[in-house]
Amino acid sequence: MKVKHAGILATGAMATIATLALAGCASGTNDDGDDLADAGATTITLWVDTERAPALKDVAAKFKEDTGITVKLEIKDFATVDQDFISQVPTGKGPDVIVSPHDKLGSYVDNGVVAPLELGDTAGLFAASAMRAMTYEGTVYGVPYSIENVALIRNADLVTEAATDFDTVISNGKEWAGGAKDKYPFLVGLSPEQGDPYHLYPLQTSYGAPVFGLDAEGSYDPTKLELGNAGGLEFAAALKQWGEDGVLNANIDGDKAKEFFLAGKSPYYLTGPWNLPDIKNAGINYAIDPLPSAGGEAAQPFIGVNGFFLSSKSKNELAATQFIVNYLSTDAVQTALFEIGGRPPALVTAYETAAAADPDVAALGEIATTGVPMPAIPAMGSVWADWGNAELSLIKGEGDPTEVWTTAVDNIEAKIAG
Amino acid sequence: MTNPLTTSAWEVDETPEAGTPRVIPPRRQRSFGRWFVEVGWRHLIGVLAVVFAVFPLLYVLSVSLNPLGTLTGSNELFRAFDIANYAKLFSNPDVPFARWFVNTLVIGIVSGVGTVFLGALAAYSFSRMRFVGRRVGLLTLLLVQMFPQFLAVVAIFLLMVGIGDIFPAIGLGSQAGLILIYLGGALGVNTFLMYGFFNTVPTSIDEAAKIDGASHVRIFFTIILRLVTPIIAVVGLLSFISATGEFVIASILLTNPDSQTVAVGLFTFVSQFQSKNWGVFAAGAVLSAIPVVTLFLFLQKYIVSGLTAGSVK
Amino acid sequence: MTSTRPSPAIEYSPPRRQSTLALLIKILLLGLVDAIGVYALFILFIKEQWLVFGLAVAILALINWIYLVPGQLPAKYLTPGLFFLAIFQVFVVIFTGYIAFTNYSDGHNSSKDDAVASIIRVAQKRVPDSPQYAVTVLRQGDVLSLLVTEPDGTVSVGSADDPLEVTTDAELDSTGKAVGLPGYDTLQLAEVVQNQDAVLALVVPESDDPNAGSIRTSDGATGFVYQASLVYDEQADTFTDSETGTVYLADEKEGSFVSPDGETLTPGWRVNVGFDNFVEAATNEQIRDPLIRVVLWTFVFAILSVATTFVLGLFLALVFNDPRVRGKKIYRILIILPYAFPAFLSGLVWAGLLNPEFGFVNQVLFGGAQIPWLSDPWLAKFSVLLVNLWLGYPYMFLICTGALQSLPEELTEAARVDGASPWRIVRSVKLPLLLVSVAPLLIASFAFNFNNFNVIYMLTRGWPRFSDTTLDIGATDIMITMVYKVAFGGGGGRDYGLASAFSILIFILVATVSAIGFRRTRALEDLN
Repeated sequence: MKVKHAGILATGAMATIATLALAGCASGTNDDGDDLADAGATTITLWVDTERAPALKDVAAKFKEDTGITVKLEIKDFATVDQDFISQVPTGKGPDVIVSPHDKLGSYVDNGVVAPLELGDTAGLFAASAMRAMTYEGTVYGVPYSIENVALIRNADLVTEAATDFDTVISNGKEWAGGAKDKYPFLVGLSPEQGDPYHLYPLQTSYGAPVFGLDAEGSYDPTKLELGNAGGLEFAAALKQWGEDGVLNANIDGDKAKEFFLAGKSPYYLTGPWNLPDIKNAGINYAIDPLPSAGGEAAQPFIGVNGFFLSSKSKNELAATQFIVNYLSTDAVQTALFEIGGRPPALVTAYETAAAADPDVAALGEIATTGVPMPAIPAMGSVWADWGNAELSLIKGEGDPTEVWTTAVDNIEAKIAG
Repeated sequence: MTNPLTTSAWEVDETPEAGTPRVIPPRRQRSFGRWFVEVGWRHLIGVLAVVFAVFPLLYVLSVSLNPLGTLTGSNELFRAFDIANYAKLFSNPDVPFARWFVNTLVIGIVSGVGTVFLGALAAYSFSRMRFVGRRVGLLTLLLVQMFPQFLAVVAIFLLMVGIGDIFPAIGLGSQAGLILIYLGGALGVNTFLMYGFFNTVPTSIDEAAKIDGASHVRIFFTIILRLVTPIIAVVGLLSFISATGEFVIASILLTNPDSQTVAVGLFTFVSQFQSKNWGVFAAGAVLSAIPVVTLFLFLQKYIVSGLTAGSVK
Repeated sequence: MTSTRPSPAIEYSPPRRQSTLALLIKILLLGLVDAIGVYALFILFIKEQWLVFGLAVAILALINWIYLVPGQLPAKYLTPGLFFLAIFQVFVVIFTGYIAFTNYSDGHNSSKDDAVASIIRVAQKRVPDSPQYAVTVLRQGDVLSLLVTEPDGTVSVGSADDPLEVTTDAELDSTGKAVGLPGYDTLQLAEVVQNQDAVLALVVPESDDPNAGSIRTSDGATGFVYQASLVYDEQADTFTDSETGTVYLADEKEGSFVSPDGETLTPGWRVNVGFDNFVEAATNEQIRDPLIRVVLWTFVFAILSVATTFVLGLFLALVFNDPRVRGKKIYRILIILPYAFPAFLSGLVWAGLLNPEFGFVNQVLFGGAQIPWLSDPWLAKFSVLLVNLWLGYPYMFLICTGALQSLPEELTEAARVDGASPWRIVRSVKLPLLLVSVAPLLIASFAFNFNNFNVIYMLTRGWPRFSDTTLDIGATDIMITMVYKVAFGGGGGRDYGLASAFSILIFILVATVSAIGFRRTRALEDLN
């Protein structure tokens, strides 16, 4: 066959194939298009991380039964789910609803990716601190479902009585440990890289040093960094002392702390409800104590409130709003979420039922009433690294407390301003 | 007793009856010293290297067998011997490990095959043909691949969103899209490796085939490819490893847990705020190494076969 | 793996016979590509994406030309790979460059329209102390109305054009909520969901008074009275605060609405900022000081990583290159095991092993000593190199094994006959030949380690921190981890524009150094 003829034949054949294939593709797309439109009207996409997912499965199934609307759960990586949400919503590929801890709310709002929700009278049915956490600059954006905070877990077999101040706690612990090398008077999980200001916050607030001051409306004011006040410096000195005494150990991270407590190597463990199931399984005779004060003032832990937020570019806004505001706020659902997740519910009636049935919930709830919400303002993002590092250095015994602490505070202020 | 260091291994027997000297093959029991100097020390190095290579992995294995395993606390290796973590991998419906495993294999194999194919085509042309920009082209390919893709994730994300608008099948969330991205990296170091090997195949073979009337396509597919199987095996293995271990892009693209790979899925285990599950993570990691090791075993005879380039003359 | 003499060129003349099978396959494949291409053009046409459309036309035409016109073989072989390279690599680089010229970041992550819509939405504030109404959505013809039941039982109806009017004909359900009105159709939940856009956009004025609020519903069942605290003037492109009267003007350079006092409304939008990001990247005060140290360490780290992995890999390859060693296969498999594990996992494992107090290395290997592997600056650098060695030597081992196998035997024989010691043979015969073929790989490995985010981040996060800078930069930070922390972790959310500018700068740097490296090793010589 001569090249020329081959060429023409080839071109002709290709044109034919192309047209046929094109027809096939095009009709395929049209079908897909219709299906999507139908499907879109009745499927809500919900982003949740692995930890919180199991609690939502049944809820989603029940919602579908009741209303015919499907809730599709997409499980995402906790560390990046908030950032992915912020990047993907504007492109239209984001979910309709996201389950998130409340401290991300500030950056969600600043990026315009969440829509305000009007809860009406339902708002009054939730714990006040939970609703505060769902509010940013006066507008409500989410429906809360659980409140979590740290508590002091005591191994009642090792130390029989609760103590109200930290010094007694320490002396109890030391007495029990008796100086043995593999016994620890007190355990709290710290990250060897950046400490854990979250867990240590109640100790810090008991010196009268919250991280931010409040403005006239009661929200955190980014211009009022209170870390560096007199109480803060006292706390810094105390940190160094505790580090030297072996009360706080920078090398014990969360995993190890848990391991040691479960093995009975310490009478005290500062942690939250997420570890309770393992503690129960290990058969420890535990008690949940209120947080002891170290500096004389009330020890206020950070409260984390988990809630459901609506995407501002949701294509199924109405159905999603129905789901969040009317369905997820009911007693039945809040209780169901509690039963699987183990965190005290945010709905007052559900909480009371849960607390009546489970003394742990009651104890945690008591502590929560003393707590303060984690700041959701974007300025908080500038705080964690320096704060944690300063605490860590002091615990490791490096540097002069006042110097280290003040340097950190200055750095943070520079970051917030700049 | 003769001095082993001064006599040769081969002994010459000079019994009178024999007449001509009989050569007796060396005794099996050569001196240990000799053996050590020549060969034994290699084994020693090997053992040391193996220990260095393997002990962290043994550690991971022991963590995976310990139901309470944590990565920092379990210093007594193999304290427990419980396959509970492995069971958890397969029994948790939120954690479709079997799916992930299959996904990873699919993505890895398709990427590997694709990379090898595209790279071989390109390497062949660089090796056998002369054209404008050939010198610069190959090195430019290497340079282009040096872009820190890690920071380009936004661009990749937006690109896939855009592609997804036209071809939903290969857009965001699809494994096909991920594979295509990996294929974008096919022309790079791997091509260079293949190019080098192609150069060792003498052109006389091509000439001979051409005289027989074969077209370039036929030469490529039926003759050359068969001769370069070692490098194809190496490149296939390397691209399989990099595709299965790649994490950043896969985590952006694959949003649905059912379509995720093992690397992405396992990482979610340990990125939780509070309850990191090291035991299950370790179990998953151990299992995820199996395909690579299997592939290596399978390809070993090609990779280190006795086919040295020099012998093909 | 490379011969010392490059192969001479082959002349390919058009084949005298082309089998029909080959022709058929060619037609089929090209036809498929054309079909997909035309389909894409079709979609692009519908979506009116003209720029991409034009590009697609050009590419499709090019592909057809390459494969239909006889000859030009190199193009035929290179096109498939280049196609993917162009889209998924080159385009990504260009796109990143484009992003570097914008202020794409948290707070500026979308278009102006989105920002305006978002601000309007949030500005709808419920009038304080206004009651909660139960509503039902009604439809008459094309117009939607809201049937509102007040807490005291009064029922009113209104639509977008008609303010609320009390009505008495409504049907009530058992709770006293009005659920229907003669002359109107009531929409059930499913229909409400279907028409959600219209329902959500429905704004019913409370009364004729323009300053009164309006009723909206967000779920089709309850409604509230809203007033806008910010009013958007489309003509003037401003937002006005209805309470204080402050006017926020659109600042196109910054990408947000700004008041005369300098207050901004969030969110903003993405705008082109020219070279701002690059200027920031190069002159940011907080980065500039530690920058030299970080750049230095990046080079040192990359070079040492390549050197150590190559030396170890080569050494082991030489050791096992002897045919007398039995059990080679087993050794080989065990030695490359580190390479089979995902890199990020290995980083995490080693971080645990090197924990000063409880890690395996300190407890078991050093008998309880508390060596601060990861917190002392020099030890941390050493640890990072050690872990990277562990991760990387199997690759070099594989490469060197293959390369050694392909070295011509006769050269080694000749040298041995001449009486050269094994070490001499390695140094003068094998090594030079090896380096010629392996040099570009070493350079590529250098580039890879230059940007080796995983190892550093997983092991030390770049710590221990420098004590004299406010930013989170440390002794083991390489450029890419520093950039990641600065652009993504600075507390201002993610700044993609800045990160993209950095990545362009890093790319230029590493590509330049590598190009020079290629030149110097005269790799180009080989290609002749």
